[in-house]
Amino acid sequence: MATEVVLPMLGITVEKGKILKWIKSEGERVEKGESIFEVEADKVTTEVESPASGILKKILVPENLEVPVLTVVGVITAEGEEIQEKYVAGKPEIVEPFKGAAPEVLVSAASAEVSETMASEPSGSVRAVPAARKVAREYGIDLSLISGSGPGGTILKKDVENYMALERAEITAPKGKERRATPLARRLAEKEGIPLENVSGTGHHGRVTKMDVLKASEKGKTALPGEAPAETLFGKTIPMSRMRRVIARRISQSAFTAPHIYFFTDVEMGRLIQLRDEIVSEYEDQFGVRISINDFIIKAVGLTIREYPMLNASLDGENIRINPEINVGLAVALEEGLIVPAIPRADRYGLGDIARMRVDLVERSRNGKLTIEEIERGTFTISSLAQFGITYFTAILNPPQSGILTVGKLDEKLSLINGEVRTKQVTRFGLSVDHRIVDGAVAAAFLQAFKGKLESPSSAFIQLT
Amino acid sequence: MREITYAQAINEALRENMRRNSRIILMGEDIGRYGGIFQVTAGLLDEFGPERVIDTPISEAGFVGTCVGAAMTGLHPVAEVMFIDFTTCAMDMIVNQMAKMHYMSGGRGKVPFVLRTNIGAGRGAAAQHSQSFHSFFMHISGLKVATPATPYDAKGLMNTALADENPVMFIEHKKLFITKGHVPEESYSIPFGKADIKREGNDITIVATHALVQKSLNVAEEMSQEGINIEILDPRTISPLDKEAILNSVKKTGKLITADEGCVTGGFGSEIAATVAQEAFDYLEAPIIRVGSPDTPVPFSPPLEQFYIPGEDNIREAVNKILEYQ
Repeated sequence: MATEVVLPMLGITVEKGKILKWIKSEGERVEKGESIFEVEADKVTTEVESPASGILKKILVPENLEVPVLTVVGVITAEGEEIQEKYVAGKPEIVEPFKGAAPEVLVSAASAEVSETMASEPSGSVRAVPAARKVAREYGIDLSLISGSGPGGTILKKDVENYMALERAEITAPKGKERRATPLARRLAEKEGIPLENVSGTGHHGRVTKMDVLKASEKGKTALPGEAPAETLFGKTIPMSRMRRVIARRISQSAFTAPHIYFFTDVEMGRLIQLRDEIVSEYEDQFGVRISINDFIIKAVGLTIREYPMLNASLDGENIRINPEINVGLAVALEEGLIVPAIPRADRYGLGDIARMRVDLVERSRNGKLTIEEIERGTFTISSLAQFGITYFTAILNPPQSGILTVGKLDEKLSLINGEVRTKQVTRFGLSVDHRIVDGAVAAAFLQAFKGKLESPSSAFIQLT
Repeated sequence: MREITYAQAINEALRENMRRNSRIILMGEDIGRYGGIFQVTAGLLDEFGPERVIDTPISEAGFVGTCVGAAMTGLHPVAEVMFIDFTTCAMDMIVNQMAKMHYMSGGRGKVPFVLRTNIGAGRGAAAQHSQSFHSFFMHISGLKVATPATPYDAKGLMNTALADENPVMFIEHKKLFITKGHVPEESYSIPFGKADIKREGNDITIVATHALVQKSLNVAEEMSQEGINIEILDPRTISPLDKEAILNSVKKTGKLITADEGCVTGGFGSEIAATVAQEAFDYLEAPIIRVGSPDTPVPFSPPLEQFYIPGEDNIREAVNKILEYQ
C-alpha cells in the first residue's frame, strides 16, 4: 500500500511551507519516524518524520517549492511496489483537511487566500515571458513583485529564479557557505581578491557570473573608505525577504482585523530591582544564568493571565478560544525582522527555569534554530524597547493573540513622599488588546494587577517555586 | 576520412544504389551527357547507359508523370528537376499523383520515386531560378521531404530515400553542391525524421536547414567567444519532422531561432515556431525569431541578391535580439 507523505500542518496560522531539503532521496529506503525532509514555514525550519516505512518511491514536490500545507509531497511504497498513475504526472495534490481535525480557521484562511490571489492576479499588466510565468505559477510567486530585466522591463525566467534565490539566501543561507559561481567568475574573483560571499549572483539560480564580479569590483574601487554599503540601497527597489513578507502579512492581518485599544501604566521598579539584586548570585549558582528584570516580567505576566484568562484567548470564528496553556512570547529583534519565541507555561515555571529558557530561546532566535512549535505556541507577547531608551510605545498584536505588553525604559523620577523628595525608579508599561475579546475595564484591571505584582515582588513571587 | 563535395556525395549514393538495384533509373533535363546542371549525375550515363540515365525534353510535367507511372509499375525512378522553381510545371504530378496514388489505390499502388531538386539564391539566376519554397512540400500530405545540409547527410539521406518505397522530395541546395565534407566510402543511411544536433549548447536553439546550418555554426562559434552557447539543430528531413528533438532542445534553452532560406511568411520557420509555441510554450524565455528570406521575389541585381539571402548577419542580429532576454 502506498503511503502519501504530506506537508504537515505546521501551526494554526501557517498556510504554506517550503521543502528546503529532501533528507531522503527518491528510491531510498525510509523507516517510519525517520526524518524525511526539512521544511521551512513562516520563519522556522523543522524536520518532518516519515509516516511509514518503505521506499520513498516518488518525490512530488521538489526542494524550494512553496506549497500549501497538506499537499502530498511524496509517496512511500513497499519494496518493488509500483505507484499509481496519478502520482506520476500532474500537479501536487492537496489533501482535504480531515473534518474536525483541522481548526476551521485554517480552512477559511486558506480559501480566503485563494480568492484573494485570484482577485489580485494582475492579469496582463505584468510583462513576462512564458517560462517566467510558468515558474511563478509553480512556486506561487506574485510576478508583480518582481522587476523584469528584459526589454521593456519584461520579466525573464532568471528574474523569477533570482527573486527566489534571493529570498532563500536571505533566510537560510548559512554565512560563509560557498557561493554558487561560474568557473570564470570564480577565477576572476580570486584574481581580484573579491570574496564571492559579498557578490550577489544574477546568473542561473543566483549563480555569481563574471559580470557580477566585475560589478562588485567596480563598486569596491569607487566606494570611499568607510562608506556604508547601505548607501547603495537608496533609489533601489528591493524585493521583500520571506521573513519580511511573513511579518507584513501577519501584522497587516492583525492591524486591519483586530481593533486595538491601548493602555499605559507607570510601575515603580525599585523593590523589584532590589529583590533581583538580592537573589541574582544565588540563582546564578543554582541555574547558571543571570536572572533579569525581564524574567520577573514574564513570570508576572504569566501569573496575571491566570487571573484574566481573556488575555490568553484568540478569536475562532464566532467563538473565543481560551488557550489551555499560558505561553509567553518574547519579541526578539533580528537584522532581517523579528521573531517571537514563547516560554511555555510561564505561570508555572520558576524564575530560574524561565531565565534559562529565555536565554536559550533568544540565542536560538538569532541563529535561526527555533522550532516551529517554539514560535507557534505563544499565547501572549511581551515586547521591550527599554534598551533603546524608549519611554513607552504601542504594539500591534501578534495574531491570533489577544494581548501584547510593551516595556519602556527604566526612568528615575523625583517624588515627594512624606514631605521628602525621593527618587523613584519607574518603567512605563503598555498593553494592547484585541477589543473584540477584551474590554477596556478588563485590560485595565489586568494591567493594575500586573503592576501590583511588580511593585510588591516579595509577596507576588515568594510562595512560588 | 576523405573529403568530397555535396554533389559528389549524392552522385556516389546514386551510383552505389544503381549498381545494387537495377530498378533505379534516372530522368531529367541534361542529366546524361552533360552530367546535370550541377554535375550531380556526372559519369552515370557512361556507367549505366541511356536506358537507365535518360535525358528528357524540357517537360517537367511529362517526365515527373512518367516517373510516377514507372514507379507504380515496378521501377524506382530518380528525377532531377533542375530548379525547385520548375516543380510548379509538374505540380499536379507531384501533389495529386506522386503524393496520393498510394492512398488513392487503397495501398495497392506504391510510388517509390525520388524527386531531386534544389533551392537557394546566390547565383545571379533571378526570380525564377533561385527560390526556396521547399516548405511548400512539407505542407503536402503524402510526401517525405529531405533537406541535406552537408555532404555526409546528403549521401546518408539519399541511401535512405532509395530504400524507401514511398515518394521522397529530395531537396538539395545549389550553393552547397561544391562544399566539401567528410564522407565515409562505405554505405550508410541516415534515418528520416531524425534531427541532428550539429552543435550542442544551452543558451539558444537554432533550428537551421540547408546553407543556414553552416552559417549558424559560424555565428555560434563566434558567439561562444562571448560565452554564449548556441545549439544548432538540423532536422535533416522537414517531413517527417523530428519534433521531439526540437522541443527537447527548446525546453533546454528556452530560446528559439529558426534559420531557413525560404521566405519567412508561411515558411518552414513559421511551422517550427508554431509547433514550439503550441507544445513548449511554458519553456519559452524569449520571443521566437525566424530568420529567412524577405517576402519578395529574389532580386537579379547582385548587391540586392546578396542583401536578400539570409546570412550570418541576420543570424547574429537574431541572436543579439534574443540575448536581450538572457
